[in-house]
Amino acid sequence: MTVQTERPPSGPMKVHRRTNGGHGKPPESRRAGALLPYLLLLPAVAVTLVFLGYPLINNGILSFQNLNMRQLIQHLTEWNGIDNYKEILTGSDFWRVTGRSIAFTAANVVLIMLLGTLVGLLLARLGKRMRVALLIGLVLAWAMPVVASTTVYQWLFAQRFGVVNWVLVQFGFENMAEYNWLGGQMSTFFVVTLLIVWQSIPFVAINLYAATTTIPKELYEAASLDGAGAWKSFTSVTLPFMRPFLYATTFLEIIWVFKAFVQVYTINAGGPDRLTEILPVYAYIEGIGNQHYGMGSAIAMLTIVLMLALTAYYLRIVLKQEEDA
Amino acid sequence: MKRSIAGRLWPNITAVLLIIGFIFPVYWMFATSFKKTPDIVSDTPVWFPTSPTFEHFETALNADNFWTLVRNSLTVTILAVVFSLIISLAASFALARMRFKGRRGFIVGFMMAQMAPWEVMVIAIYFIVRDADMLNSLIPLTLFYMVMVLPFTLLTLRGFVAAVPKELEESAMVDGCTRRQAFLKVILPLLAPGLMSTSMFGFITAWNEFPMVLVLNKDAEFQTLPLWLSSFRSTFGDDWGATMAASTIFAIPILLLFVFLQRKAVSGLTDGAVKG
Amino acid sequence: MKRKLIAAIGVAGMMVGLVACGSDDKDSDKGSESKGPDSYKGQTLTVWAMDGSTPDKWQADLTAEFEQKTGAKVKFEVQQWNGIQQKLTTSLSEENPPDVFEIGNTQTAAYAKTGGLADLADVKKAVGADWAENFNEGATFEGKQSAVPWWFANRVVIYNKAVFAEAGVTTPPKTRDEFYAALEKIKAKGKAEPIYLPGQNWYHFVGLVVGQGGELVKKDGDKWVSNLGDPKVAAAAEIYKKLQSYSKAPKDKDESTPQQADVFSKGKTGAIIGMGWEAGTAITANKAIEKDIGYFTVPGESADKPEGVFLGGSNLAVAEGSKKKELAKEFLKLALSDKYEGQLAKLNGVIPNKESLNSNLVGNPVAEAAAPSAKFGGTTPLIAEWAAVENAPNPVKTYLTAVLNGKTPAEAAKQVEAEFNKRLAQKQ
Repeated sequence: MTVQTERPPSGPMKVHRRTNGGHGKPPESRRAGALLPYLLLLPAVAVTLVFLGYPLINNGILSFQNLNMRQLIQHLTEWNGIDNYKEILTGSDFWRVTGRSIAFTAANVVLIMLLGTLVGLLLARLGKRMRVALLIGLVLAWAMPVVASTTVYQWLFAQRFGVVNWVLVQFGFENMAEYNWLGGQMSTFFVVTLLIVWQSIPFVAINLYAATTTIPKELYEAASLDGAGAWKSFTSVTLPFMRPFLYATTFLEIIWVFKAFVQVYTINAGGPDRLTEILPVYAYIEGIGNQHYGMGSAIAMLTIVLMLALTAYYLRIVLKQEEDA
Repeated sequence: MKRSIAGRLWPNITAVLLIIGFIFPVYWMFATSFKKTPDIVSDTPVWFPTSPTFEHFETALNADNFWTLVRNSLTVTILAVVFSLIISLAASFALARMRFKGRRGFIVGFMMAQMAPWEVMVIAIYFIVRDADMLNSLIPLTLFYMVMVLPFTLLTLRGFVAAVPKELEESAMVDGCTRRQAFLKVILPLLAPGLMSTSMFGFITAWNEFPMVLVLNKDAEFQTLPLWLSSFRSTFGDDWGATMAASTIFAIPILLLFVFLQRKAVSGLTDGAVKG
Repeated sequence: MKRKLIAAIGVAGMMVGLVACGSDDKDSDKGSESKGPDSYKGQTLTVWAMDGSTPDKWQADLTAEFEQKTGAKVKFEVQQWNGIQQKLTTSLSEENPPDVFEIGNTQTAAYAKTGGLADLADVKKAVGADWAENFNEGATFEGKQSAVPWWFANRVVIYNKAVFAEAGVTTPPKTRDEFYAALEKIKAKGKAEPIYLPGQNWYHFVGLVVGQGGELVKKDGDKWVSNLGDPKVAAAAEIYKKLQSYSKAPKDKDESTPQQADVFSKGKTGAIIGMGWEAGTAITANKAIEKDIGYFTVPGESADKPEGVFLGGSNLAVAEGSKKKELAKEFLKLALSDKYEGQLAKLNGVIPNKESLNSNLVGNPVAEAAAPSAKFGGTTPLIAEWAAVENAPNPVKTYLTAVLNGKTPAEAAKQVEAEFNKRLAQKQ
């Protein structure tokens, strides 16, 4: 699998030259040709608008309603203006959860990108056999469906008979016997983070490895002729070459970690005491769990706004490249 | 380049530790699911299922209409991925190969679509599906899963399309192929590894989804495997043998698919890279 | 305690009166009586029952008789308590809601208020003249018969006789102190866990609060607020904590994750506090445990005053949106007839909805263990605001975990107060 890096379209100029010059097509067909990209995009745009855009608008509409059990069951529409937003934004819960979500996302993404890059570089240095073995390990972790791997982590970290506690005791941490990992905020976050990092490293590492194989050898040779050491050649050759890839991957990881609903919700349902709720979990528990559907929709809208803000930097780079191209 | 023994040793040692770290949770799932219960609830872990048993799998497979769920999951996942691949292929070709007004706008649009927090939109989706009288059906699930995986599929495929050397297409067109023929006969075969590796993301996403199916399909006839796994887990709680057996059953199709596809995809990727 | 129950009965009596008046001027139902059995032919009635509520034989007999009588089919769908409110709410808004469904007596008020429950005054008229009034109270809301009372139960101690005997305990404990002493002996023996009591068996905690004469909520002006800071609630929490100290069960889980009956069925557990039918679950999991299972009343302060218990109960309701309301009512009339109500009581050891059927419980060890504490029982507040409190994460459960993890009851009460009050004040 590869990553969505931003490369300029490969040689569109040439195409135009050829179609215009070499084959001199009649003008009608050229006009049809101008429409062609839009026709090709039509199905994708249409289904996205219908099955994503429409629910999104609907979600926005619901966020201005007082919509609870009674209204839902009786199909009532009770507008309440911006009350939901006012209540959320003036309460302390939302801001606490937002801060927590951002910190959680930052910690995970930094770990994933750092360790993923290191593992990717390691793959490039290994001998063939070792590399295949590590690739198999990575692919297995990557392929584990989230619901299953969350269950497995619960078992690894189980209070009684969990293998992690046993190992820690063997290493001399006697007080870790029957330690309840899911009983505290930080220890729950530790387990969730380990799970997410474990699952996400393979994507970064394998793609980075595949990308490093495309770096021309000559660049390294030139660097070493200039007397560059391993670190120098990494920063002067590898890193610049990888930059678009790293940007794109970071963007994806931010989105994925920020939305890590399934991992956080299934491992401890945002507990203990609602202390590990991140924004999507908070929206789900308030909206669907507590049957405050209008409120949940408002939190969902705010979540989307926040995610756009977090990724705005990258989206701007992409837009800017258009001007350059 | 010459390296000291230590310099040659540490990457391998690190690699061994990493291999253990990545494989162990998966191994432990398999191992636990085959162990006899006393070996699971033992104060000292039993590392290998020395006398394997299938009793946990029997417990897990005992669920009412388990095979219906399997069929539903497969149907929904495969259809969603295939549809999204077809739609994406057309769009990604336009985005990678053609120059037209608003191209970047479309790209950024799909990037934003990738951010959609589906879990928190389930109520809005529920209303739409309910009012369309389509609850308890696999059709809305398929469609929504298709759109859920579409942006990623589309943007990733664009990279693969762009990697296919332009000249191949051009020479085909010089040989008298139409653009459509050139696409079907030349580019598509080269894209096969890309399609496979892109589809993996779609498979895993659609296979895993449960907040939506939980709300939309209350009729057991139309539910999918993730619901079975999560309800199984809350009922059987610390019967870890049974839960691990259930997790194994749930993970196996995706694990097999990945091992099969990834080999092709990685080699395809590196091959392509070398040629490019 | 007694005073409260008497007051409740009085109020219920008034409500019943209101219902009777209300149902008199309803003529529309007369048409249904002229319908022959054939008019229902080909229809299928969907019935949601909670896990464990419907014994196989009861279900089979009832289904057969109903199908023969009306020509319609019945489809039972077993539901889990976990997440049931969310599922029920959305279902009731749908085109095809479950026609008949089981609903907890503490949840009925909230759903009645949503308008999702059909009026069942004519079922009461047909089969409910002698329903126990304090039971029927949980099935009515603002004078309307929103549901019909089905069965009641309170928790008992389910114990493993072999484990107790091995530790030298041959007669079931009668007082709280004897209970602790027995658990102490099992603990000293070291072969089994004395009791499996997870930290969040909050129904048992509600019972303890009732036993202390406490209340979980109080009125502050015109709104309900948390009363967890009350010393009586704190005393109940201390009793829970003491009992829980004999268990290795997780402090942050409830009795259904994992099913405590499954844990008990392994034979390594002295006792659990649970519903009588949980013994059946244990036997299904491990047949060999059957001969060792015994029951006793949850011991209280003294032998003649057992512990307070949560009077759990289930009602049956009909969805307002059901297209088969008449058929559903026919089903209720049959299901709640003396024959089937009695059979259910006998098979499940639950208290039936009328006193005249209590004879079905004679000789039933569960019912005999449950009966002494029934009159010391109570429920969570029967107010429409309450249902929101039970949504996960239930603040009462959070409170318990906090106490068990070392906070004082007062600190724990403070910790969950905001969340608790927020839920009680939720807009409806």
